[in-house]
Amino acid sequence: MNAVRIAWRVTRLNFRAQLEYRTEFLLMIAIGAIWQVSVIVFATVLLTRFTGMGGWDSSEVLLIPATRMLAHGLFVLVLGRVHLVGRQIQEGKIDTYLLRPMPVHRQVQLAFFPTNAIGDLTVAVGLMAGALSRSNLDWTPGRISYLIAAILGGMLLEAALFTGVASACLRFPAADYWGRWLEELLGTFGSYPLNVLPKAVGGFLTYGLPLAFVAYFPAAILTGHGHDTGVPYWLAALSPLLGVLAYLGARLLWRWSLRHYTGVNG
Amino acid sequence: MAVLHAWRTARVTPLGELHTPPRMTAVLLRLTVQVILVASLWHGLYSHTGTTAGLDVDQAVTYAVLAVLASRLRELDQFSGRDTVIQHMHFGTIVYWYLRPLPPQRYHALRALGEQLYGFAWALGGYVVCLAAGVVEPPKSAAVAGVFALSLVLGQLVLYFVMLVLDQLCFWTVRNNAAMLILIFAQNLLSGVYAPLWFFPDWFVTMSQFLPFQATLSVPLSLYIGRIPLSDAAGQLAIQAVWVVLLFLFTRFLWRRAARRVMSQGG
Amino acid sequence: MDAGIEVRGLSRTFHTTVRRPGFTGALRSLVNPERVAKHAVSDVSFDVSPGELLALLGPNGAGKSTTIKILTGILTPTSGEARVAGVVPYEERERNARNIGAVFGQRTQLWWDLPVRESFAILRDIYEVPKAEHAARLKEFDDLLDLSSFWDTRVRHLSLGQRVRSDLAAALLHDPPVVFLDEPTIGMDVVVKEQVREFLRYQVEERGRTVLLTTHDMTEVERLSERVVLINHGRLVLDGSLDEIRRTFGSTWQVRATLADAHTDVAGLPGIAVLRHDGPQVVFGPDGPDAPTVHQALKAVIERYEVTGIAIDEADLEDVMRAAYVHAEAI
Repeated sequence: MNAVRIAWRVTRLNFRAQLEYRTEFLLMIAIGAIWQVSVIVFATVLLTRFTGMGGWDSSEVLLIPATRMLAHGLFVLVLGRVHLVGRQIQEGKIDTYLLRPMPVHRQVQLAFFPTNAIGDLTVAVGLMAGALSRSNLDWTPGRISYLIAAILGGMLLEAALFTGVASACLRFPAADYWGRWLEELLGTFGSYPLNVLPKAVGGFLTYGLPLAFVAYFPAAILTGHGHDTGVPYWLAALSPLLGVLAYLGARLLWRWSLRHYTGVNG
Repeated sequence: MAVLHAWRTARVTPLGELHTPPRMTAVLLRLTVQVILVASLWHGLYSHTGTTAGLDVDQAVTYAVLAVLASRLRELDQFSGRDTVIQHMHFGTIVYWYLRPLPPQRYHALRALGEQLYGFAWALGGYVVCLAAGVVEPPKSAAVAGVFALSLVLGQLVLYFVMLVLDQLCFWTVRNNAAMLILIFAQNLLSGVYAPLWFFPDWFVTMSQFLPFQATLSVPLSLYIGRIPLSDAAGQLAIQAVWVVLLFLFTRFLWRRAARRVMSQGG
Repeated sequence: MDAGIEVRGLSRTFHTTVRRPGFTGALRSLVNPERVAKHAVSDVSFDVSPGELLALLGPNGAGKSTTIKILTGILTPTSGEARVAGVVPYEERERNARNIGAVFGQRTQLWWDLPVRESFAILRDIYEVPKAEHAARLKEFDDLLDLSSFWDTRVRHLSLGQRVRSDLAAALLHDPPVVFLDEPTIGMDVVVKEQVREFLRYQVEERGRTVLLTTHDMTEVERLSERVVLINHGRLVLDGSLDEIRRTFGSTWQVRATLADAHTDVAGLPGIAVLRHDGPQVVFGPDGPDAPTVHQALKAVIERYEVTGIAIDEADLEDVMRAAYVHAEAI
């Protein structure tokens, strides 16, 4: 309980710290608006151009970017700082964290308040609202619960991937580079029905880089395309659970890597 | 002597990369995977569509792959070299830029030039491989190739100035990391890296015509694939040139303000 | 060209925003920031002669770095005037840049991703140093700083001591007549510190460079400089030799004498007071502003009394500076 109280206190302080830099804070809000417009345009533009993408109609496809964006927004808000581990290692901050009586992972997360997450989440909620209003599906409690589970699972899966990169950074600081690529890949390929891609490429995005489990598989299950995703139905349906498992695994990896952390520059 | 310091400064980035072979391997791998993914994505998207937004599948794939290659031109890991304005502001080492007889603006431009030339070597290598593998189409004519080359140079100049404005912002807000990411995203979106601007709604295309971003990539690539016909090329090149001049004046103004700010705050 | 430094009535005021405490305070500062003026340097004047090493001393936040930044041309003063080797640094920054070299504590000017020698080469071309001259100077620096053992290493892999030595070399490669060093030896081990001091002494004595140094290390001051300027709260407190400082703030010597006859009648001498008297043990200390130096006092005591044993405790420069800072605080 004490941990929660400290976390809450630090978060409040961090939020205040964001207010300290006036220009920066106002800029973030202004820029949030640009971000919002561009993402929605980007998500809808391809759908209107390529109707019937992969056998999905456009209202169904919209569910993919909406799920991904919402999961991503929550990730940025709750666990997004894991992204900056590479830089924190290079600046020697991890060494300071190791001296304090609080888990390093939590200190990383409490490093600052992600003002930009507010923008991300606003966009995502808007997009999700749009997707749901255009959807012809019957939104039963079961479907809604599955969607929520999928969003949380997607968030955890994304967190797991970045925690994996962060763990690698602890041992090889240069791995930071892969984090940026990962982000780009998630952003570029996370929003399509992956069955438009050749089998090998789709397979890579399923088993190599498990991008498909973030939004594509859950959306396929919800819209009744679950049987033609290229993976067994049960596997696609278990996406949210896989997110949880992946995150737990990543945290174990993190703990193991932290024990083997050697620091930079001696 | 001026040539010498230009050469030394310009080669900082390539040299840094050569001293870190794993980074080069990473670039190669990333570029390969990205080209394959992008090419297959656009083939996939077009599988039920003939021509949309005035682009057929070959044009779209060529555009997308060239966009991936071109974004290599200035996408290096500058952070690892600790020579970005934001890092110099953070570590307080920006003072050294103002302690040397080389003006900071020239140093910055030379560093970027070296970086862009190094990136160009990568892009050119990738282009030759893609052309040989039939992933991209060759330009329709020698005239198209020439206009494209000219437009690409102008586009790179515009890109340099846009990135420079982002760097210069750091003189005023040290903590604009997230803002930078978002602006870079805007640059990628509005320059047509993620998807050709031709796919976007009319209002979006109109809006981006008033912004410098499309001049960086969308214009040269559209000239290459023939989406902008040669007859319209002169006008487009002129617009690019106007952006170069405007941004040059604007960034020069910002450099002066930045110097004044450093001189009044002490870096 | 006169390679000295002239500072006349230099002042620098910064304006900062006050941060109100608390959450609502932060919100209010966001909407309606309140600004205050802070006088980092006020009316400071001093000179450094060509070929002299001057230590600029003062507690943290006294205005040392601000002064150095003005003299290097990075900062414009609010009022007053400065000349470095005849150039007004903040008016002709680039001309000044050719005349000076500077190291700011732990901030490195070297290129992080490149071997040290590459950084030297870049600077050589930026400062337009002829190749042969560069090579000769590099050789000279290598002899003093032992650079060649690590100059093919990338900067990111250097230890602090190696990096500061490289930075020192980098700042002097273009043979500047004037050198500014802002806490150059901070955080370094004694061996490296000694090496750096030796290097600096060589640069001043053999190469005739003018050096302005800030440091908190009093051993360094004692070893390197004849003259110090002490500032606090942006104001000049003292400009003089180390002896003068000692005389002003550090006359805290004690002479402990053991008298041959425990029943001697002990009284003070001119400028010397008896601090304690216990049987044959007497402790003398300075008395008043005209107190003699410890050596004069020693002589006076021996001449006046018959002693069987005598010892002196002289406050070291650390103590002197502590007294000086406390004194400066009081004005």
